[in-house]
Amino acid sequence: MKPISSSRPVLLVLSLVALVSLPFWAPDEYKIHLATLIAAYWVLIGGLNLAVGYTGLLSIGHVGLFAIGAYAFAILAGTHDVHPYVALAAAGGIGGLCGLLLGLPSLRLPGFYFAMATMAFGMIVGELSLAFDGLTGGGAGISVPAFPAPFDKPATVFWLVLSLAAIVTVMTWNVARLMFGRSLVALRDSEVAAAAVGIPFYRTKLAVYSFSGVTAGVGGAVFASLQTYITPETFVFDLGMFFFICIIIGGRGSILGPLLGTIALTALPEVAAPLAKLGQFFYGIVLLLVVLLVPEGIGSVFHLFRKQPAKTKHVVKPELELLSTALRKGAAR
Amino acid sequence: MNARENTLRKDVSAALPAHVSKAAAAALSARDVTRSFGAVKAVDSVSLQLRPGEIHGLIGPNGSGKTTMLNLLCGFYPVTSGNIAIGSRDVTAATVQQRSAAGIARTFQKPRLLNSLSVLDNAMLGGWNSTRSGFLAAALATPRARRENADIRARAEEILCGVGLREVLDRPAGNLDHAEQRFLEIARSLVAQPSFLLLDEPAGGLTEHEIAQLAAVVGTVRNAGIGVLLVEHHTDFVFKICDRVTTLNLGATIKHGTPDEVRNDPEVIAVYLGA
Repeated sequence: MKPISSSRPVLLVLSLVALVSLPFWAPDEYKIHLATLIAAYWVLIGGLNLAVGYTGLLSIGHVGLFAIGAYAFAILAGTHDVHPYVALAAAGGIGGLCGLLLGLPSLRLPGFYFAMATMAFGMIVGELSLAFDGLTGGGAGISVPAFPAPFDKPATVFWLVLSLAAIVTVMTWNVARLMFGRSLVALRDSEVAAAAVGIPFYRTKLAVYSFSGVTAGVGGAVFASLQTYITPETFVFDLGMFFFICIIIGGRGSILGPLLGTIALTALPEVAAPLAKLGQFFYGIVLLLVVLLVPEGIGSVFHLFRKQPAKTKHVVKPELELLSTALRKGAAR
Repeated sequence: MNARENTLRKDVSAALPAHVSKAAAAALSARDVTRSFGAVKAVDSVSLQLRPGEIHGLIGPNGSGKTTMLNLLCGFYPVTSGNIAIGSRDVTAATVQQRSAAGIARTFQKPRLLNSLSVLDNAMLGGWNSTRSGFLAAALATPRARRENADIRARAEEILCGVGLREVLDRPAGNLDHAEQRFLEIARSLVAQPSFLLLDEPAGGLTEHEIAQLAAVVGTVRNAGIGVLLVEHHTDFVFKICDRVTTLNLGATIKHGTPDEVRNDPEVIAVYLGA
């Protein structure tokens, strides 16, 4: 499970430098804001990627958890004057708790029904944010405070959100490269094999799903702060599909792929005005093209540049002495 | 639960690999196990005992219940009646995962591999039971999580080289040919450091040469003190390497004994081996 980024340290450092220095070379403030928005989305999508891309959980209703994080932050930091950083942490905690509560009944369901449950959850959150107008401002919405100085300028808030995105990326990369990541892919690709090696399905899925709830909550909080004003209209079901599509386009079982997917799908309609006019049609076309042409996702294109091992006929040649030593080591343990 | 399973495994391994004391070590035993699918009894009160350090063959015609028996032993199917135990510990109600932690590993008729992952990653998956660090420890890459990962990687590399896959460690498992996939599945189950290894038709689709190598690997596994259950159609292979053989027909045991006893049994010849 070697992520592409680890095999190219130079490229990784260059991209990091480019990212961190973005406020200095971006042509205008709007582009910085756009980059900040992408980073906020990635906080959620990075966590969701472990559930969708690695574990194969078809969660299409994450917009509900995103909205919960956003409203939690707005209500705590705005209405109740809680310090924004405390509110940010609380949004993550509440998001994680809601992810856990949603996962408890739904993660026992088979794939398709799980997807339906998460979709229903997303819709319910939308309706509740309308109904509880005392808390959320109902259809009129609620204003969201910005982060205090020094994170009150486009450049500094970008660095703040970029740091959060980096933390999520490193955490998911750690999970992916260690034993836990293998267990996730096993749950996705072969439940029989997963059971045979002892992986508990439900508990493992719950851990991953709760984590994706935390990142959704944090992502929703910073997103809300960037928007400065949120209404139930901000969190339409399409946004949940957008998160999901970013991962599918990027490719399953990869971190770089979905990251590129998120950047492309957020930036393209903003940078190229004609694409923006297409709206949902644009996402639909991109999804269709990727699913038909590169079903492994755009991340897989990078594999083409990697050296492929020569496919020579290999003959299995057991080294029995070595096998014997290895097995006896196990018995002595 | 883990503590108890650890003691159990230690009991087994303490007696290993000295063959003399194997009778004292815990065995995987099925007593009067029955499994019905509707009105059909796929397995009809079969008893068998798999001892550490022996190869136990399970043969019989198609539909005689061999694979069902294997699935009952490792918990993929619940038994309709009867019980299954490891030593004195009853595991009849234990899940597949609990039995895996208690030292039962298996392979499948059709290899179940994670095709997009490398050969090494697939083998490492077998080390799941020795992973103690959970999600958070992995996300933070704690020293323990990294050490466990490194230990399992080292063990997996050794075993992969041992079964003859040294040259393909980094290849995606999906690119392997059939024989390599079979050996990889065996490697994955050995990385789990099992006390019992259940092989479901491991020789299926292998050439004569590959079967000879499989026999060498299975023999080495036995000599390391692991109990091997061999469900197999390839009877030459079974009679050559097994210590004991059980023959099933229509879900019931018709003969149990040494390879020679079974091979010369008139009923076994009549229903399965042919003249």
